[in-house]
Amino acid sequence: MASRTKQKEEARARRLAEEQARAERTRRDRRIRTVGGIVLGAIVVVVVLILINSGGKKGGIQTGAEQNATVAAVNQMFAGIPQSGATLGNPKAPVTMTYYGDYQCPVCQAFTLQGGFPQLVSNEVRQGKVKVTYKSFCTATCNGPNPNIFPTQQVAGLAAGKQNRFWQYTELFYREQGQEDTGYVNEAYLTALARQTTGLNLTTWQADRNDTSLTNQVNADQQAAKNTGVSGTPTLIFQGPKGQAAPSAAVPTYAQLQQAIKQVS
Amino acid sequence: MTTAVGTAGPRRLSVDAKLRIAIGILTLVGIGIGTYLTYTHYAGLHVLCLSSGGCETVQHSRWSKLDGIPVATLGLAGYIGIFISVWIRGELGRAIGFGLALVGFLFSMYLTYREAFTIHAYCQWCLGSAAVMTLLAILTTVRMLRTDSAEPVAPKKTVDRAERRRQMAARR
Repeated sequence: MASRTKQKEEARARRLAEEQARAERTRRDRRIRTVGGIVLGAIVVVVVLILINSGGKKGGIQTGAEQNATVAAVNQMFAGIPQSGATLGNPKAPVTMTYYGDYQCPVCQAFTLQGGFPQLVSNEVRQGKVKVTYKSFCTATCNGPNPNIFPTQQVAGLAAGKQNRFWQYTELFYREQGQEDTGYVNEAYLTALARQTTGLNLTTWQADRNDTSLTNQVNADQQAAKNTGVSGTPTLIFQGPKGQAAPSAAVPTYAQLQQAIKQVS
Repeated sequence: MTTAVGTAGPRRLSVDAKLRIAIGILTLVGIGIGTYLTYTHYAGLHVLCLSSGGCETVQHSRWSKLDGIPVATLGLAGYIGIFISVWIRGELGRAIGFGLALVGFLFSMYLTYREAFTIHAYCQWCLGSAAVMTLLAILTTVRMLRTDSAEPVAPKKTVDRAERRRQMAARR
């Protein structure tokens, strides 16, 4: 009797173990399917996020009404402010802001268009208290697919500067800056910006682009940047009667620029 | 938090409970980072940064936004979602936490790649968030794959019956 009960119990235990193993297998399979589904779903979501993130504003040469609005805004920004080469503002201004930049640098674009720069030009530069001198320092361009274009693009601005339109050309470059690392800067791009620069004589501009003194100026700017310890762009250095100051923020606000001006005035 | 049922002595935390606590703490760190970066973005303040301007360079890059929304804000939403998932019992909570952490981890890796190879600047807050998301991805994966989950499978009636019969046989 005891042995039959024992056998029944053993059979029951076996059945139970089999049931548990089957349930465990089912649960494991279901979990694997769930995990696989979540992983696939996550990959799809991330791919969509990456596409949205990298497919944002493409930039580049504007056309039609958009271009007209940009040109009008640029002309208004610099109207009546004296220019000489790469220097903007009253040559006798007590404070000089040296702006080390690279035309393809997106952070320079952020400073020039959204940082403190527009207000600085509208106020201190227009009032003759500060002058701005642009110097070339290769950063984003040198990290991009075509670093050799750097002197060509910077000289294009300096050639416009020979007709006192350096800042219009530079502002247009930043406003119509293309997508980084796409090698968008070429002859067509540089010439299109020159065509948008109001009052620029294109024939003279083209001829001036071959002026070796401008290439030498770009090289000298780069050397000056290295000597000063400049490591990135934009780097802003203020010089005035009380010495020198450099805002530490990559994209200084107008308040930070004013603070630097105060320090050196 | 769930505790394992002990026969005697002090109540000990189950592995799942420990994982949930660790995930909860990490999400709170992530929520802190996300809140700070979102606040500084919308308040127009400067981000405290160890390297000279690295954080601002990253924050002003075109990669810092997703269709106009700062990625820090999206990260904050992700951390809050993972935090909530910790309190959802069962498979659903584990699945939500795992999915969100995986998306966060993969997207953080993409953003770190952008920092290294496109922006050429690093933001410590972003790297910190990426590290937190990596740990969360590991912990939520472990929690998801663990078969001995905190919620025990309800014993089948046959087991109870067998136990009863055994007890009856013993009485005889």
